Amino acid sequence: MSAPVAPVRLPLVEGGKSYHDITEDIVSPTENAPGTAWVIAFLISVVTLGFGLFCIFWTIYMGIGTWGSNRTIGWAWDITNFVWWIGIGHAGTLISAILLLFRQKWRTGVNRAAEAMTIFAVMCAGLFPLIHMGRIWLANFIFPYPNTRGPLWVNFNSPLLWDVFAISTYFTVSLLFWYTGLVPDFATVRDRAKGIRKRIYAFLAFGWTGKAKHWQRWESLSLVLAGIATPLVLSVHTIVSFDFATSVIPGWHTTIFPPYFVAGAIFSGFAMVLTLMIITRKVLNLQEYITVEHIESMNKVIVATGSIVGVAYLTELFVSWYSGYVYEQFAFYNRAAGIYWWSYFGMMLCNVISPQFFWIKKLRRNITFTFFMSIFINIGMWFERFVIIATTLARDYLPSSWSYYMPTWVEVGIFVGTMGLFFTLYLIFTRVAPVVAIAEVKSILKTAGDQYIGEKANDGDHKNSAH
Amino acid sequence: MKEGNTTVLFGLYDDEVDLLNAVKKANEAHLDILDVYSPFPVHGLDPLLGLEESRLHIAGFVYGSLGTMTAFGVMTWVFTRDWPIIFGGKPYWSVPAFIPITFELTVLFAAIGMVVTFYTICGLGPGVKAEVLDDRITDDKFCIAYDVSNMASDKISELKSFFSGTGASSVSTKVI
Amino acid sequence: MNQFTFEGKQRTVLLGGMVLGLVCLVLTFFIDPLEGSHHARFWSNLLHNTVFFTGIAFISLFVMCAFTTAYAGWFVGMKRLWEAMSLFLIVGLVLLLIIVAGLWGHLHHLYHWNVEGVSTLGHENYDRIIAGKSGFLNKYWYTFGTIIFVGVWYMFARKIRSLSLQEDTSGTDAYTHFKKIKFWSAFLLPIGAFTSAAMIWQWVMSIDAHWYSTMYAWYSSASWFVSATAFTILMLIYLKGKGYYQNISDEHLHDFGKFLFAFSVFWTYLWFSQYMLIWYSNNGEETIYFRQRLDSYPVLFYGNLVMNFVLPFLILMRNSTKRKHGTLILVSLLTFFGHWWDFFYMIKPGVVINAGGHADHGAGDHSDGHEVLGAAADHGEHASSFMAGYTLPGLLELGIFIGFLSLFIYFVFMKLKEASLVPENDPYMKESVHHHV
Repeated sequence: MSAPVAPVRLPLVEGGKSYHDITEDIVSPTENAPGTAWVIAFLISVVTLGFGLFCIFWTIYMGIGTWGSNRTIGWAWDITNFVWWIGIGHAGTLISAILLLFRQKWRTGVNRAAEAMTIFAVMCAGLFPLIHMGRIWLANFIFPYPNTRGPLWVNFNSPLLWDVFAISTYFTVSLLFWYTGLVPDFATVRDRAKGIRKRIYAFLAFGWTGKAKHWQRWESLSLVLAGIATPLVLSVHTIVSFDFATSVIPGWHTTIFPPYFVAGAIFSGFAMVLTLMIITRKVLNLQEYITVEHIESMNKVIVATGSIVGVAYLTELFVSWYSGYVYEQFAFYNRAAGIYWWSYFGMMLCNVISPQFFWIKKLRRNITFTFFMSIFINIGMWFERFVIIATTLARDYLPSSWSYYMPTWVEVGIFVGTMGLFFTLYLIFTRVAPVVAIAEVKSILKTAGDQYIGEKANDGDHKNSAH
Repeated sequence: MKEGNTTVLFGLYDDEVDLLNAVKKANEAHLDILDVYSPFPVHGLDPLLGLEESRLHIAGFVYGSLGTMTAFGVMTWVFTRDWPIIFGGKPYWSVPAFIPITFELTVLFAAIGMVVTFYTICGLGPGVKAEVLDDRITDDKFCIAYDVSNMASDKISELKSFFSGTGASSVSTKVI
Repeated sequence: MNQFTFEGKQRTVLLGGMVLGLVCLVLTFFIDPLEGSHHARFWSNLLHNTVFFTGIAFISLFVMCAFTTAYAGWFVGMKRLWEAMSLFLIVGLVLLLIIVAGLWGHLHHLYHWNVEGVSTLGHENYDRIIAGKSGFLNKYWYTFGTIIFVGVWYMFARKIRSLSLQEDTSGTDAYTHFKKIKFWSAFLLPIGAFTSAAMIWQWVMSIDAHWYSTMYAWYSSASWFVSATAFTILMLIYLKGKGYYQNISDEHLHDFGKFLFAFSVFWTYLWFSQYMLIWYSNNGEETIYFRQRLDSYPVLFYGNLVMNFVLPFLILMRNSTKRKHGTLILVSLLTFFGHWWDFFYMIKPGVVINAGGHADHGAGDHSDGHEVLGAAADHGEHASSFMAGYTLPGLLELGIFIGFLSLFIYFVFMKLKEASLVPENDPYMKESVHHHV
């Protein structure tokens, strides 16, 4: 790992850190009491979560009639939020898995938090298919198990069921991948801890000692998990896109949906990672590990995936004309000029126009600009799903079936509540686990630390080669 | 897990380069290393220790194939033998529709199988007690450990001089 | 050695291949099972091979730019090969111009939208659906797109090449050339993405003018990418065998093998998405595309999957196979030919229909298909009458493939000898040389 590094590469760890510094900097937030900022944020999140839970209870107790869904807009905020959250979750696995396969070292600064974010996002997403059932106490019906109802099987041909398998697999594999990476880091925390904390982290660390053979298997496992997590990430949002694309609805039935949804998911996921990382690095004082290099790299991914999404939008628009199919043409005309035209423009502005600013290097490296952009992008991606789902359903084949949809306070409350759930879990995570992958950052220190490469590097004073 | 007491003589190094050089010297002197510990995976270490490549990926392939066959087989049986139903005018054996679930189950079986296998063969898991030689190994120290349970004292001093000769920052003994 | 010598023996073999290809191409002008089709076999072979090899040139440029923008260092040792491949765009442009000329002169009937009166209401050739698309499907757009877009791609290829060569001679620690190359690379990416989609729709998708698929451009690009990777692997192994490219090790080949594997799987994913979605919603206007191919061209259909998914997946899955030159050569040859086959399968069935031949017993595959249905009735009951050069590539098609391939390799060799095989002063060279997987 003491390989040569190109002179144009910039450092990924700043401050001339030693291995011990890395341990200290990253583990101390788990050892010290939280600051005021954390407490306030936590309280807000918990209160929001509480309200969300009440709205969910209200939905189950009173029924789906408390929502604004109607005929023909049977899917609206519920499924929009579901797809939005799943999309956000994609960044974690992408950063961990795909960037590992592409040997992008900068992933080590953000992968741990991004993977945690994935798990929390998938939990938030999974809520919606469950509560939108109406009779959630019959949720077991969607699983194929021997039963006394026939025995009646689930419909394996339905994309909605493919979703059940995809989301469950995605959650499980992400959890396994995240935890595998955490085990050595929990051992680090264990060995510094005392008393009850030591016992807790000893349990969580599964007895890890750092033996060479164990590291070898750990790396092999990480690589293979990355190898299968990559197609898994692609498959999950592909299957979500199949929920729409397998239909016959114009605007839904289009072959480009799979890769377009995946690109969009990566796009929104990275935006959320940026939102979280920009706050985290400030509050936990980790700017030397989550550097401007990391932020710039993520912004490059954003401009790339945002442009892919833009290409997909324009392809759809063009082909809707090209198809000569009057319903398809109307579907797109309706998006831009119909009753929900404002959501379409919000989508175009936030997803296509705004990420183009990141072609400019100065803006890519500007943290405040990035922060606001990341929020903008997530708003835009929410609009994209709303445009696809609600506006299309509002105006499909039969004009006599056309209707309008507005969310009720219950739906808004549930959505806001999932944000509460997400941030509550994330805030707990930042206090309980190391937010940056300690062992992985140590392993790239000699090829990415600023005392070894970049402008501040001092040659010769350190051991840099072992052949 | 290991039962009984093993007396271990171990030395700590401050840098992985020192560790690698020490392991090379140990190989040259034909010393029998018990284990090497580090706070992160050190590249170049595995061939020096003669560690065979992990075969976890083979296990992963086997588990994954099991998942493929399970998913595809069950769906085929359900829709062609057990309770065939016509969905959307498609044939009973609707292969394209089977692909997504087949793929997901392949990945699920492979992942769970490999992770469980990993923890099992490493002897790690919830409730396993770690035999920590030194708390700083998971921080910034690299460790070579020798089994000196039944060793003569002159051999032990040979090992101690090995450690001092290769730049170990500290040498200690522990029973695990 | 870093200076490539284009040996006499290599020239002879390649020239022989090109002559073979030319002879076969000319023969297909005369030997054509589809009579009265305006020499459809000849023109579709020309289109098929031109689009295939021009696409490989384009995608080499695109990938080179993408890697540069992503700060990848491992590939720079061989970037001269990709530069050479991208410059082939000029040859592709010339070949495309022949097809364009054929369009203007009504020498071929590859595209039904080019028929006299197809968008004139009341004309006997009027086709309502094509008339609706005639704002895009017309010879003006086709010509403009071909000349301007391919021209622009070529200009980017030239610019990046010249900067790369300048870096050899006048590159400094300030890495100014590298920064400029990065700028032009980033610039090409969005332009290339949009324009290549527009062109594949024009060149290939519009052959089946009633049909459409939003996925089409991405699917074709993936096919080109796998082909380009396979060609790269074959070239590197060949050149290494001749003593060049000492700086390219088994590590690099392993990585290229991984790309071949990964993008074969990605191509399959796109293939499956397109197929399954059309299968699932069961919409006649869309399913007819696959119906024709499954019914009348089953070997093309299934062969495509076996060559481009099943075999590469099984062979390249293991790490060890990506380090064996023999296996890499085998899989690269297989997928390179397999994706040539893929484009054959995309192009030919539509050509048969447009030429007035029948493809199947499907209902209404042509809105003005009176002649077609009549022909179907005349020719008898079913659709599996074998037509060499359409149902399957014939020996002449294979000869043409060899000819175009020889032309491509000849051109690449000419470009390789113009400069050092290994770039000097590239900031990533050390990383590339010490690349370890």
